[in-house]
Amino acid sequence: MRSKQLSYVLAGAIVAAFGSVAEARTLIQNKGSDTLVNVAQAWAEEYRKVDPEVAVAVTGGGSGTGIAAMINGTVDIANASRKMKDKEMKLAKDNGQNPIEHIVGYDAIAVFVHMDNPMDEVDIKALAEIYGEGGETQNWADLGIEVPGCKNQEMVLVSRQNNSGTYAYFRKAVLGKARDYKLGTRDMHGSKDVVDLVEKTPCAIGYSGLAYATDHIKMPCVSKDGGACVTPSVATASDGSYPVARPLMMYTNGEPEGEVKAYLDWILSDVGQCIISDKGYAPVRDVSCN
Amino acid sequence: MLMTALLILPVLLILATLIHKGGSIISAEFLFSEPTNGMTAGGIFPALYGTIWLVAVALMISVPLGVAAALYLSEYAGDNWFTRIINLAIINLAGVPSIVHALFGVGAFVLFFGFGTSILAASLTLAIMTLPLIIVATKESLQAVPHAFREACWNMGATRWQTIRKVVLPNAVSGILTGVILEVSRTTGETAPIMFTGAAFFLPFLPESVFDQTMALSLHLYVVATQVPNVPDELPYGVALVLIAIVLLMNSLSIAFRMWLRGRKKW
Repeated sequence: MRSKQLSYVLAGAIVAAFGSVAEARTLIQNKGSDTLVNVAQAWAEEYRKVDPEVAVAVTGGGSGTGIAAMINGTVDIANASRKMKDKEMKLAKDNGQNPIEHIVGYDAIAVFVHMDNPMDEVDIKALAEIYGEGGETQNWADLGIEVPGCKNQEMVLVSRQNNSGTYAYFRKAVLGKARDYKLGTRDMHGSKDVVDLVEKTPCAIGYSGLAYATDHIKMPCVSKDGGACVTPSVATASDGSYPVARPLMMYTNGEPEGEVKAYLDWILSDVGQCIISDKGYAPVRDVSCN
Repeated sequence: MLMTALLILPVLLILATLIHKGGSIISAEFLFSEPTNGMTAGGIFPALYGTIWLVAVALMISVPLGVAAALYLSEYAGDNWFTRIINLAIINLAGVPSIVHALFGVGAFVLFFGFGTSILAASLTLAIMTLPLIIVATKESLQAVPHAFREACWNMGATRWQTIRKVVLPNAVSGILTGVILEVSRTTGETAPIMFTGAAFFLPFLPESVFDQTMALSLHLYVVATQVPNVPDELPYGVALVLIAIVLLMNSLSIAFRMWLRGRKKW
């Protein structure tokens, strides 16, 4: 009996102690894309200085997770690194939700290889042969490249899990809508995992948002249809010259109002856009940050 | 003897690694300040605080329920098909992977009961996941109380409930406590069940009621280790060290308390 009483007393004391610090605030639920999650976190962290009455709760999980939450009506703002599909839009409408899209930034999807890999440039068509189902390229030797430290020169394809917006966008932009990924890709649960794996694996090739690039990884420039080869950067994503760049979205239920509107307006202001730019993504327009 | 030493080795190695790589970051400031600079600097207080909330609420739900269930099964229930089914269900519940509990939690507590992603939903999920621990530990410690004690008590004219309350439970406390502590340790470390039911990646405020979301140490460790770029190496190790320290502290407390109780035992 003693342990039961003890646990009641303890639990009661804890709850009483915690319950006493009450203050009025508005909560904005923000969930979705792992690509956006770190920017969303930075915005949330900074926004409390702008309006201490408003708290933004940030959760990751992937674009699919955010969009599902929007369909279920459990979030105020869903983050997505891809557009909602027609099917998802219809599901949301059937549930009485009215998702409205807001572009909050752009993201260049960089291709990553190991530091020792001599590959400096790659064409979208070549990437499709590397990643696409039935693609010809199996070995680095097929590209005429010899990677030091890579046994058998066999390519290790690093990809993302299938509810990732990055996964969906790369597929659309590189493989084309109908084509699937090759079997045997290593599907990572976050962009950071992709970078970590490629950093340590000489044979590997991977892709992710540019913001996750580190100094220990190589990013070849990417060309499309024989055009100029463009190195991924915030500038080339902003001006549209980098071929694999996509908009980053926040979805609200209906036109934003009140605190949600104030938050979105702040995100799109110079201050908010400088934060996204600082995190390695491209802002929606030219901003001068210091 | 050698095998026993081998058992200790992994624990020591884990601790040594964590202290070596993360020990330098541990300070009062680390424990009691908020994460800053995109969670690459600052402390872990919101996560620590959230974990205490989650564990406390989970205990409040599962301990009364678990002890009551074990009392019924051990002291009242006859050996019939119904009891056997319940026992089977408990064993099966213990074997369900935590991610399945998480999905159940989302479906039942977050969506169906409408608690939303909240401490309540997360703690209910954790409570259900850890119920078997409490039930089995309590049942075993109740059955370890010699039957002669009960008979002696009944012969004095005590009712069944009086016997349980005055004789059986006081003698079983140390075993029940073991179950509770095991639950605390397990609840502290679980990530999957809280990820979708109540824990947030980042929260700029401390939870104030069970209907708030919260940050949690275990999820925070997952986040700084796999999601946030440019985290200094010692940060994830520091978080892991705090997590392990809490579990070890709880375990040592329970061992000390049990030894004290056992010292008072007269049989």
